[in-house]
Amino acid sequence: MTETKLTARNVDVFYGQKKAINDVSIDIDNGLVTAFIGPSGCGKSTFLRTLNRMNDTIAGARVDGQILLDGEDIYAASMDAVALRARVGMVFQKPNPFPKSIYENIAYGPRIHGLAASKADMDRIVESALTKAGLWEEVKDRLTDAGTALSGGQQQRLCIARAIAVSPEVILMDEPCSALDPIATARIEELIDELKESFAIVIVTHSMQQAARVSQRTAFFHLGSLVEYGETDQIFTNPRETRTKDYITGRYG
Amino acid sequence: MSKSDWNSPEAVKRLAKRHAAERRFKAIGLGAIVLSLAFLALLLFIMLRNGLGGLDWTFLSGSDSTDASVAGVWGAAKGSLLTMLVTLLISFPMGVLAAIYLEEFAPRKRWIEWVEVSINNLAAVPSIIFGLLGLAVFINTLNMPRSSPLVGGLTLALMTMPVIVISGRNAIKAVPPSIREAAYGIGASKVQTTFHHVLPLALPGILTGTIIGMARALGETAPLLMIGMRAFIATPPDSLTAPSSVLPMQIFLWSDEIDKAFVQNTSAAIIVLLVFLLAMNGIAIYLRNKFEVRW
Repeated sequence: MTETKLTARNVDVFYGQKKAINDVSIDIDNGLVTAFIGPSGCGKSTFLRTLNRMNDTIAGARVDGQILLDGEDIYAASMDAVALRARVGMVFQKPNPFPKSIYENIAYGPRIHGLAASKADMDRIVESALTKAGLWEEVKDRLTDAGTALSGGQQQRLCIARAIAVSPEVILMDEPCSALDPIATARIEELIDELKESFAIVIVTHSMQQAARVSQRTAFFHLGSLVEYGETDQIFTNPRETRTKDYITGRYG
Repeated sequence: MSKSDWNSPEAVKRLAKRHAAERRFKAIGLGAIVLSLAFLALLLFIMLRNGLGGLDWTFLSGSDSTDASVAGVWGAAKGSLLTMLVTLLISFPMGVLAAIYLEEFAPRKRWIEWVEVSINNLAAVPSIIFGLLGLAVFINTLNMPRSSPLVGGLTLALMTMPVIVISGRNAIKAVPPSIREAAYGIGASKVQTTFHHVLPLALPGILTGTIIGMARALGETAPLLMIGMRAFIATPPDSLTAPSSVLPMQIFLWSDEIDKAFVQNTSAAIIVLLVFLLAMNGIAIYLRNKFEVRW
């Protein structure tokens, strides 16, 4: 049995005068992976970024409608965007480790949120986050090396570990594999599959094969609207909408 | 289409022409460098020839005097040091904070554009006008002591601050946005993102700009004329409010002397000033390398 983690109701997003997202309503459940697919510029990344108020950092961006995290309005005045982003973590398209040591990359989040009481506590958090991200064995002997010195795939897993370290409830991934080779991509996909036990995961992807492989739910966006949302199997084998069918059979996109 | 013949006379001629253009450019480029360095070499040669003989302990430890043989540069050098200290303490924090605010925090509003244009204009204002401003504000209105390193430093700080703001903004702008996103993404606040991640990465660029601004301030004479730092001062300043001279002013004063013996003093003081500037540039390079983050 799944429970709803995030609820969006009639969400519009504007960049200045331009409407980027048009009336999107969607429920995102705990314990599974939800994929957002659609052609470039369809608004899937924009919508993802409304879920942790990352759009707040862009001048001129405005969000209408309601987004609830466990029933709590995340755009309400009482909601602190900074605290929200600790609960709804994010992994970006290009691996973006801090130009600091591997250890520091992970420890930074827990430190600013006061999650570790002692050095030993912090060591434990770092080890646990790296282990969950499947990186511990590869880096345990060189935690003081620069995070930027790792390979692309390792850097992305480091970024995932960094997101995990602050114990979020939801992890948003914005095309996390688009800068990686197929082997590193497979490694991240396995990881996503393991992580869904502990976090609600939303992944934006350009690759329909990836959506089919890693997700249980798929949402198809087109021109800023949510066209179809359902079980991944159903979307890929038996789409209800013609536009979805045209997209997944490669007629456009 | 037939295959082009690289051995035909036309093709050979064309190639030869291209090679000649390459050689010409290299020669002209090299010439430009040699010419500009030649002036530096000439300057150094003349100054060293005229001044090296005057660089002895009496000169390095003494202050200005009407007698060229006992006149020294320490009074002016100490004045320069104290003045630079005031300039740095005022302009660096002000400039860096202004740059951070404008780049990271300021709303994209009309009045911010005005602020930006004003700062760019401020950096281009002739230095003598800053001298007048210093005279009007610090001496006439706030009654600070005339000819003092305090007023000199404050005046030069006004002049240096826009340079630091501009170089600071460029350095902050050059920090990739992905670093800010990374920090926001794990719940860092704006201030935390700025001070933990953006500023450390921008620091080498900010420091380079600061030292360039400071070096310019060190060589500045015109604004200090206006606030009375051209007086004859025979003792080194013992505080920020004591009457003082500065190195470029000392050079100017000595170069104006009728007594031939001051020619050597002038050149020797120029050597001291150049050593000062080289030391500052050296510090700039050292700091940049020390704080540079390799990706």
